[in-house]
Amino acid sequence: MKQLHPRARGTPIRALFLMGLSIALMFVDQRFNHLEVVRSNISLALSPLRYLVSLPAITGNWASDWLTAQTELLEENLALEAEDRIINARLQKMQVLQAENTRLRSLLGSSRRVADQVIVAELLSVDQNPYRQLIEINKGTIDGVTIGQAVIDEFGIMGQVIHVNRYTATTILISDPEHAIPVQFIRSGTRSIAFGNGNTDQLELRYLPATADIMVDDELVTSGLGGRFPADYPVATVTSITADLTRGFVSVLAKPLARLDSSREVLVIKPENSTAPE
Amino acid sequence: MSQLRYFVIFLSLLTGLILMIMPLPETVQIYRPHWVALMLIYWSMAIPERIGLWFAFFSGIMVDVSQGTLLGQHTLALIIIVYINLNFYQRIRVMSLAQQAMYVFGLLVMGQVVIVWVEGIMGRPIPILAFFAAPFVGMMIWPWIFVILRDIRRKARIN
Repeated sequence: MKQLHPRARGTPIRALFLMGLSIALMFVDQRFNHLEVVRSNISLALSPLRYLVSLPAITGNWASDWLTAQTELLEENLALEAEDRIINARLQKMQVLQAENTRLRSLLGSSRRVADQVIVAELLSVDQNPYRQLIEINKGTIDGVTIGQAVIDEFGIMGQVIHVNRYTATTILISDPEHAIPVQFIRSGTRSIAFGNGNTDQLELRYLPATADIMVDDELVTSGLGGRFPADYPVATVTSITADLTRGFVSVLAKPLARLDSSREVLVIKPENSTAPE
Repeated sequence: MSQLRYFVIFLSLLTGLILMIMPLPETVQIYRPHWVALMLIYWSMAIPERIGLWFAFFSGIMVDVSQGTLLGQHTLALIIIVYINLNFYQRIRVMSLAQQAMYVFGLLVMGQVVIVWVEGIMGRPIPILAFFAAPFVGMMIWPWIFVILRDIRRKARIN
């Protein structure tokens, strides 16, 4: 290695300036949305890396699909067709109920609820910050994904989109410690908020009074309050209720219904705005 | 310095980024060393007049975007690491690889402190035992990083 160039020492002034700049960046990124464009563009530039890193997983899946025996595929096909018929039968009843619901709502003068459109996406096998619960999906602005859209799997709510670039998007899961989702108990209608705490199998419901009508195994759905998540999507089931005698609150834990750890295909919900009453 | 030589350094940075987002089983994730920090420590030791604070800043932004952390979080950590390195490396480079590794451990811990401190300010859970895991692994692999990057540097005749 060469002798030290006098200029190269990295003067304290430059160091302090860059450190101050970093702190300012963190402040702006935390409080405002101005830097989202910057992040989005840099994220776009880094997308090839993400696809590169996902390549082994994608190739593995493709290989295992390709190598599956034909008989196995035929069986799977028949089973899926049978399941499809059952679901379609149930769907007919739901359509009748939906039509009735729309009529009743218009009779009452309330706005009509329109079905949400969905975008199908796949998880990119990319690890992000290990202290957070963030996932990367392979759809971006070019597919109609925008910040704030809810993300679900077939079992329930997974989270919402927080960053997006042209081709990929970052989703925060409901189990992330910085995430809170307004929920409602199906059985009793009690409303609460479910907070993530870093565990993919546990959500905390805080601030429920001890007098609330809740039981273990109660199901929680989104309440739609706050406008972030569409209402009536399954979130979790209650696993434990412990009374905290010192404060008059109960500490409630719930297990998310979505397979936060293992789902590879997800749906991004594009909400339709409800129409005005007729 | 020719374009090719810059390209090699840039490539090593990209490799560091790739290694940082490569999927690992959840139990192993906390042991992942800060590859980008290790790359920066080597290059700022080897060619301090080219690779310095601005490169650290740039790398930090790349890491923040790929990790989903606040813009500036890893940047701050890397700038501190590189600044200290720029001021101490002359004394360090004459030491054995093992002693160098201990110095690298110190640098990585300092970077880790910054990152975890910001996480704490944001109100997110802070790891306790896992805190030293990544710097420790970084220390263990430092001799390899040093030798590999030194070979690459010599082959590409970067000076």
